Amino acid sequence: MKKIEAIIKPFKLDDVKEALNGIGIKGMTVSEVKGYGRQKGHKEIYRGAEYIVDFIPKAKMEIIVDANQVDEVIETICQAANTGKIGDGKIFVLPVEEVVRVRTGEKGKEAI
Amino acid sequence: MLSDRPNKQAGEQVFSGMVQTVINPQDFTDLRARRQALDAYWQQDISGYALVRKHSDFIDHHLAESFEKNAPAGEGFALIALGGYGRQELYPFSDIDLMLLYDPAQKDELNSLVEAILYPLWDTGLEVGHAVRTLDECMVDATEDFFFRVAMLDARLIAGSRTLFDKLSEMYKALYIDGKRQEFLDDMLEQRAKRETRYGRHAYLLEPQIKESCGGFRDIQSMVWTAQVVFGLKGLAALQQAGILSLEELKKFEEAQDYLVRIRNRLHYVSGRKNDQLFFEHQEKMAEAFGFKNEREMLAVEHFMREVYTHMQTVSVTTDLFFEHVEEVLGSDEIPKAVKVLESGIEVRHGKIRLANTELIKSEPKLFMRLFYQSAKTGNPLHFRTRKAITANLHLVDDKLRHSRRSSKLFLAILVTPRPFRVLEEMLDTGFLTSYIPEFAEVESLAQHDVYHIFTVDRHLVQTVNELEKLREEESNIYAAVSAPHVLFLAGLLHDVGKGLGHGHAERGADLVRRISERMGLEKEDIDTLEFLVGNHLFLSNTALRRDLEDEEFLMRCATKIYSPEALAMLYLLTIADARATGPTVWNDWKGALLLELYLKIALLLDRKDLSGHEQARGTELGAQWIREKVAGLLPDANKTNFNLFSDDYLLSFPPEVIVQHIAHAKNLGKQDVLFFHEQSRESWSILVISKDRPGLLARIFGILALHNLNVLAAKIFTWADGTAVDAIEVSSAISETYDGQDWAVMENELHLAIKQRLGLEHRLSRKLAPLRGNPQGAKKRLAAKATIDNQASELYSVIEVFSEDRVGILYDITKTLSDFGINIYRARIGSKADQVVDVFYVLDYDGKKIEDPVFKNELQQGLLYAVSNA
Repeated sequence: MKKIEAIIKPFKLDDVKEALNGIGIKGMTVSEVKGYGRQKGHKEIYRGAEYIVDFIPKAKMEIIVDANQVDEVIETICQAANTGKIGDGKIFVLPVEEVVRVRTGEKGKEAI
Repeated sequence: MLSDRPNKQAGEQVFSGMVQTVINPQDFTDLRARRQALDAYWQQDISGYALVRKHSDFIDHHLAESFEKNAPAGEGFALIALGGYGRQELYPFSDIDLMLLYDPAQKDELNSLVEAILYPLWDTGLEVGHAVRTLDECMVDATEDFFFRVAMLDARLIAGSRTLFDKLSEMYKALYIDGKRQEFLDDMLEQRAKRETRYGRHAYLLEPQIKESCGGFRDIQSMVWTAQVVFGLKGLAALQQAGILSLEELKKFEEAQDYLVRIRNRLHYVSGRKNDQLFFEHQEKMAEAFGFKNEREMLAVEHFMREVYTHMQTVSVTTDLFFEHVEEVLGSDEIPKAVKVLESGIEVRHGKIRLANTELIKSEPKLFMRLFYQSAKTGNPLHFRTRKAITANLHLVDDKLRHSRRSSKLFLAILVTPRPFRVLEEMLDTGFLTSYIPEFAEVESLAQHDVYHIFTVDRHLVQTVNELEKLREEESNIYAAVSAPHVLFLAGLLHDVGKGLGHGHAERGADLVRRISERMGLEKEDIDTLEFLVGNHLFLSNTALRRDLEDEEFLMRCATKIYSPEALAMLYLLTIADARATGPTVWNDWKGALLLELYLKIALLLDRKDLSGHEQARGTELGAQWIREKVAGLLPDANKTNFNLFSDDYLLSFPPEVIVQHIAHAKNLGKQDVLFFHEQSRESWSILVISKDRPGLLARIFGILALHNLNVLAAKIFTWADGTAVDAIEVSSAISETYDGQDWAVMENELHLAIKQRLGLEHRLSRKLAPLRGNPQGAKKRLAAKATIDNQASELYSVIEVFSEDRVGILYDITKTLSDFGINIYRARIGSKADQVVDVFYVLDYDGKKIEDPVFKNELQQGLLYAVSNA
């Protein structure tokens, strides 16, 4: 099992969610995060006032899938989240040791 | 022990007068069947007070029997109910507060009696609060414990010695009531204030606490207790007879009280424990129990919660008024302060605005608004009797008053006072707001069954005004662009007025506010803005989250929709206020950052037209004036600086410290022809060129940049009135983002040469760029190129906009072409997004005029298109 963490542009969240639903991914955890990578923050000056945007708002989604689904999920996210511009985001894949469903105690694949 | 209790008749004979309701023994047979019995009553439509009374009787009955069986004969013991049980109000899971009062001489018998009485209660799982005290102990405890002192007010004898009980009542009265009116009131108010801090000022929170929240049972009890202690009035009816409540107030209050009792009853059942908070998850079940059905536009639960909030509001307002009354009565021996007459019929005394005579309002309905206006103007709240007079006479708020220009002028004036929120709250609480703006009735106490909205719609609207009040200071920079604050505040107050009418509340609201503001006689311009703000109050928040903020074309459409910087500033402030007034989960930094980004992007686009339209010019002026003052404050020799040199848009484009630097640098222009500065910021460089303006200056600068592999990211080009050109350009390396081999010295030298016309830019560039041109993709992209010349956008200049694909040297080609046509560039905004360039130039022709001649215009357009396409 793997955990896929995708940092994407907030406005792409619905698109990505739908695309993932389309390939049978039913569950995910989504959070509002801030950070920066190559897109860096920037400074805006408007009417004499400085607005510093050092951390850029992004959406983070976390999805646990079976190892053989990883490639498909990554590809789906890339396609749906792509705008071709800087700041489109990143995807991380991490190993997951165990999954347990709290209500039933089921483990592993069954619990995803 | 209780199952073999003697028959009911016997019990009643002994304790006649205490067990008033005949309990049908068939309904239950045991203390353990208590809940089933209560449920059966509810099914029989016995609810509210009747039900809690039955419950209390039921427990009385059992306790009396068990006391009778176990207590020794004589006057040694009295079994007393306290608190809610003392008032005969026993909810399904309420604590049963008992006190066994005993004569110290009988101490030996005490233990066995206590056990005999309490054990069966415990065995059934009832929550029992019990205490065993002598008369003396009672007095000591009452002194120390406020809650016990108050609980004693409701003490009621269940069984045992009447003599002992009467003795207790006398001692209590002598020690804690007679002559202790002020102390009692102070304690009561202190507890009330504590509850307010803990449970919030409003009952309108998502999950109201029926007992402790504002407008809950504690408020009712505090009023009843205080009436009893201070005025010796027992019960609500007595308050009405004494003239403290009007008949109508009493009726409404009793209705509210009974409703709350029914809710609490049911709530204990639904939650299966002693729970007095209407938790989200119980609300639907409660609505069902109260017989509400889902309707087309409104959920059953929303109907139900609306009733809850309405009744709690009644309790809250009535008790507020009552306590102000008591405070005044008790405080009346203070030295009366002078009355100050504010205007005919309205005066202020002890910091409260009041009618000189409450009858006045009947003949002078204009006083309604005058009162609120004086309250807003002076910051003094309205006296409670005046508030009562307003509520009692709301039927006089008629169409004539609603159409009165005088009243609407005052209403708008209230909105722009420093603290309109408090006054609007008073307007809402007295019912005046809904009478004056009848459209408000649809949203009064309207609940929204979701986890985001913690307030009812009417409270949310008033709360939005509160947030706008704060934003006026927090976002003073942006607020400075608002020249019609009354429109912004009115939009805050009315933006959700279309709720309660079904889907599409923003559009419905826009229609309603047009009607409202026309009735109030607002200027046409204001009405349009208001309609726009209400109709689009969700636009920014929806857009910031759901749209690509890099999409230049989309941003352009936004800018067109939100036609002016002022409208944008208002919409932005309204959006933040709305979100913050909705609930703690709706607004956060994350959304704030996205919204700010959207705001700035649209603002920059709108600013390109900021010389058009007088409204915008005004906002710009205010902002520029502020910068001017800042700059003057930072300059060591401000009086030697001629501020007329700087245009408003120049001042608004840089922070004051940077403008100060520009001024300092420019002093060196006499010694040097061209001043050049560069500074690294993150992955780009900021370049500043200051020079005497001359034809083709910009083209030469851009040419040099292209020659040195620098991409222009953004540029701000200005010319001071004395002909000093100040060009601030953001560049990045075309080689790689992190390239650090830039030879600035060589570049500066070449810049000097180029400006002095000693460098052949044309051939150097042509040679350098040759390998890059003729890119086969070029032909396809070239179609996108566009050049427009607009004489409407700015009063003083022709505005040229060039859209094209980005490539090295393109700015040189554009500016060179302009220079060839003898065009002077006074201001420019260069923006390249992704691979698209949108460049805007504010220009005049060779003679210092706008480019009006259609033939020349066309020629110039063709020239520009050729320049950007000629790859």
